[in-house]
Amino acid sequence: MLEERLERMGIVNDRGKAAAYGIISLTILLILWVCATSLFQWIEPRVLPSPTRVIGQFAWILTEPFSGLRLHGHILSSLERWGWGVLTAAFIGIPVGVFFAWNPWFKTFLNPVFELIHFIPPFAYIPLAVLWFGASTATQAMVVFVAAFPAIVINSQLGVAQVQKIYIDAARVFGANQYRTLRRVVLPAAAPSIYTGLRIAISNGWMALVGAELVVGKVGLGFMIAQGQENASVATIFVGVITIGCLGVLIDTLVQRSERYVLPWRRVAG
Amino acid sequence: MEQSTGKIAADNTNPAMAAPAKLKLCNISKWFGSEGEGVHALDDCSVEVQKGEFIVVVGPSGCGKSTLMTVGAGLENPTRGEVLVDGKPAGPPGPTRSVVFQKFALFPSETVEQNIKFGLQMTGVSTAEQETRLAEQLRIMGLEQFRKSYPSELSGGMQQRVAIARALVMQPEILLMDEPFGALDAQTRTILQEEIQRLHREKHYTVLFITHSVEEAVYLGDSVVVMTKRPGRIKRVINLPRDVVWKTGDIELAAEHSEFIEFRREIWGLVREEIVSI
Repeated sequence: MLEERLERMGIVNDRGKAAAYGIISLTILLILWVCATSLFQWIEPRVLPSPTRVIGQFAWILTEPFSGLRLHGHILSSLERWGWGVLTAAFIGIPVGVFFAWNPWFKTFLNPVFELIHFIPPFAYIPLAVLWFGASTATQAMVVFVAAFPAIVINSQLGVAQVQKIYIDAARVFGANQYRTLRRVVLPAAAPSIYTGLRIAISNGWMALVGAELVVGKVGLGFMIAQGQENASVATIFVGVITIGCLGVLIDTLVQRSERYVLPWRRVAG
Repeated sequence: MEQSTGKIAADNTNPAMAAPAKLKLCNISKWFGSEGEGVHALDDCSVEVQKGEFIVVVGPSGCGKSTLMTVGAGLENPTRGEVLVDGKPAGPPGPTRSVVFQKFALFPSETVEQNIKFGLQMTGVSTAEQETRLAEQLRIMGLEQFRKSYPSELSGGMQQRVAIARALVMQPEILLMDEPFGALDAQTRTILQEEIQRLHREKHYTVLFITHSVEEAVYLGDSVVVMTKRPGRIKRVINLPRDVVWKTGDIELAAEHSEFIEFRREIWGLVREEIVSI
């Protein structure tokens, strides 16, 4: 097979292969889309707009304000709310998770509360958020926070709990006190798990954000989609959905890549 | 402590014998779980290490010899008995007692030089002094070209060199080594055994060394402490000749020496009794 030969020649590695398959599958999807709409009109335009129609709408929203803002305006306000929510969740969630694992008493004391909270879906907080913060950035940020928080706490706690005792013993033997053991030995060892938590939190937060924007607010990608529905503009909805998807992938990739620089020793460990 | 008979204990003129032992484990008993119900790991074990002495503890696996080490280091408290350093209670773990762990226990997120400097930074040694001592250890252990590497980039043998350097850089009064070569391949083990032997001869470290290898014990030890199966007790202490030629050379050559063979047979006999008697 061609693929095997390329592999033997060292041209295709695993990552290259994954990228190639990704491009192929997306291309097939695009071709099917073109066939179904522009080419053979299997599906009516008011159900599924053609790619050209969506691209046209895309260009239009980039230049002409739609519901008050152009596309990048909506993107920025979504990113802002999401950023605040995720950052707050990380700033509070990582320490909480670490202390859950480091201090058994803390865990016993707060775990029941936490268990209860994390079974409440983020969207259930929307009415409360609206009552507290009105239609402001903080409203959606709070929903993002609620969606992101549990993943960060759980994974930070797991990361710390999984640190092998022998490292803590070694730190003690070489004179480290509790605080320094935590900072220099435990946190770095837990970092990969904390990172996983952040990645889950980031995508959970992103999804919750769009949901929250559908319900409340006057800007943002979710709001844009809702407006597309109001104006019966399927193309606008598609622009919104595709933008949300692409941004999600982009953010996740950036976070994934950053791990190599934040945790340099993991490059070799794999 | 039961002394072996019929063997000539060398180096009896050591004046340190008069002073309290550098490290003394007095009547150590250790139960994991509650006494009388949990696991009885150690029963009334006493071991003395004089200044500059290399004491090796051997015993069948699971006999509690590693527990003896963790108690000696202060990482575990004994259920009964006490640990003395220079005749005084040893207290919590600290830089006077450095440990080399079987599984290296290097901090994976730190480079070789950060790992080696760890203890110096924790105990407030000046930066200049840190660099001097680091450079010395890198040179002694042959790690200069790996100073910026992470542990995961090194072979097991190199990792254990880093762990030994990390312990020695503290200039500890006592060095505790828990089966330090147990996780290494045979060739690397031989090289490191010879290096430890050479280091001990040059610098006269005070060492408590745990192993399950009788050869290693005979080659490295000034005295060999044989333990019983669990609950671990001290079965016999055998004093080995100290200033003999076969201890200064390669372990391969030492293993051919009749005296070495004699001691190995005696000690292996004692260990085997413990393994076969169920």
